[in-house]
Parts: sequence; C-alpha cells; structure tokens
Amino acid sequence: MNYVVIVTRAAYGTENSSTALLFSRALIDSGHKLNSIFFYFGGVLNANQMIFPADDECNLVKYWEDFGFQFKIKLNVCISAASRRGVISDEQALRAGLQKGNLANGFKLTGLNELSEAIQKCDRIVQF
Amino acid sequence: MKSIAFIFSHAPHGTSFGREGLDIILSASLTIQDISIFFIGDGVFQLVKNQQPEIILSRNYASAFCILPLYGINKFYFYSDSLIERGFLEKDIFLLDIQILNTYVFQEKLSQCEGIINF
Repeated sequence: MNYVVIVTRAAYGTENSSTALLFSRALIDSGHKLNSIFFYFGGVLNANQMIFPADDECNLVKYWEDFGFQFKIKLNVCISAASRRGVISDEQALRAGLQKGNLANGFKLTGLNELSEAIQKCDRIVQF
Repeated sequence: MKSIAFIFSHAPHGTSFGREGLDIILSASLTIQDISIFFIGDGVFQLVKNQQPEIILSRNYASAFCILPLYGINKFYFYSDSLIERGFLEKDIFLLDIQILNTYVFQEKLSQCEGIINF
C-alpha cells in the first residue's frame, strides 16, 4: 500500500515524532510504499538543525535525516508553518538579514500543494 | 484518495490547528474533489461569528472559512452533542450554513470518507 505520513509535533516534548519515525521504518520493513513524509504544524520543528541534545539522548533530527537518505524518502516541510516557527533555509535567512538558515540536511521546504497531491495518490494517511 | 474528512476538535486561537488546518483545506480543494469538514468538541467554536482575536494578538482567520463554498466545499457537519454541551442552541451564531448531525449520522458521514485528517 501507498502511505502518507504526517508529523504534527516537534522532535522533543511529545512522543508523536519518534512514533512516526518508528512507524515509517516499520512500513518500509514490511514492504509498503512511503514516498514522502510531511512535517506540518509543530512538526516542522523536526527540521531544526540547531537541535543539539546531549550525547546519551536520541537526536530525532539526525534519525529523520538518515532515514530519508537511506530509503530515498522525501522529508517535506511546510514552508509557511516553518517560517512562523523559525525554521528557515539559507536563502530565506539572507533575505531576513541573518547569517545562516537552520533547515537540517535532507529536509525540503515545500508548499501544501505537495501534501494535497500526495494525499490524492495514496491509499492511507497516518497522522502523528 | 478521492474523499477526505477534515475534523476540527480544538477551539480557535488557543492552538494554531484551526488556522493551519484551514490552509490545508484550501490547498486540498484544488486536488481533492470530495471534502467534508467535521466540527466536534471545542472545534465547534471555530465558526462562531464576531470573533475579535486581534485583542489577544491572534489572527482573524474565521472569515476565510466563508470562502470555502467558492472552492466547492459545502459539507460542514457539526456534532449535535458538542453544541448542546456548550450551550449553542441557535444555528445563526455560526458563519456558514452548517448541518447538525446526531451521533449515528455523524459517524455514518465520517465512515463514508476514505481518509481522515485531524486538527
């Protein structure tokens, strides 16, 4: 089956994002199709490169990056939800007069039309 | 998926779910033909008229719900018990022409949708 996963909460504070990651891994392990993951609402904070937990803690941002890279899954971040929450690309940072953006590697800022199209094509939506 | 249900279950302004949820619906209306919107629990507050969120530094997005019919979205379902629990006894306090459904019909309408997204 073709799945779409939507992550609506930040990397730390609630369990939503880690459950979404474990679920997404399980989808791949069991042979399902997962083209892209959408980070929306507070979920855009999973793309914050500046998340820097202690060494003995999980770094979900890294885990998502590795997962996306390993299985060639697009990590889509809603651009307007992200800018409101302080997750911006280098180009946006330049325009805002900042030295550097903080969008983590492997994540892509996209519009909501990408999400709508993915929903249209999928068999199942799972929201975390 | 051809038919999607969007469910609002949070009051406006306390969280961003209402505003950002509405953004998804506006975008989805361009690609998904059959969209139904359900309001349950505190979600029934979303469509209340005469909101003044500027006073609490929030954005007034409620009027944007009114353009949904122009995008071909006309199914607005309210859960009757949620309205009664909150003392909403008149339909004309809401911005749109809503349909009030009892438990059975609400569940029935929801189960007819292929996908569900919650706000």
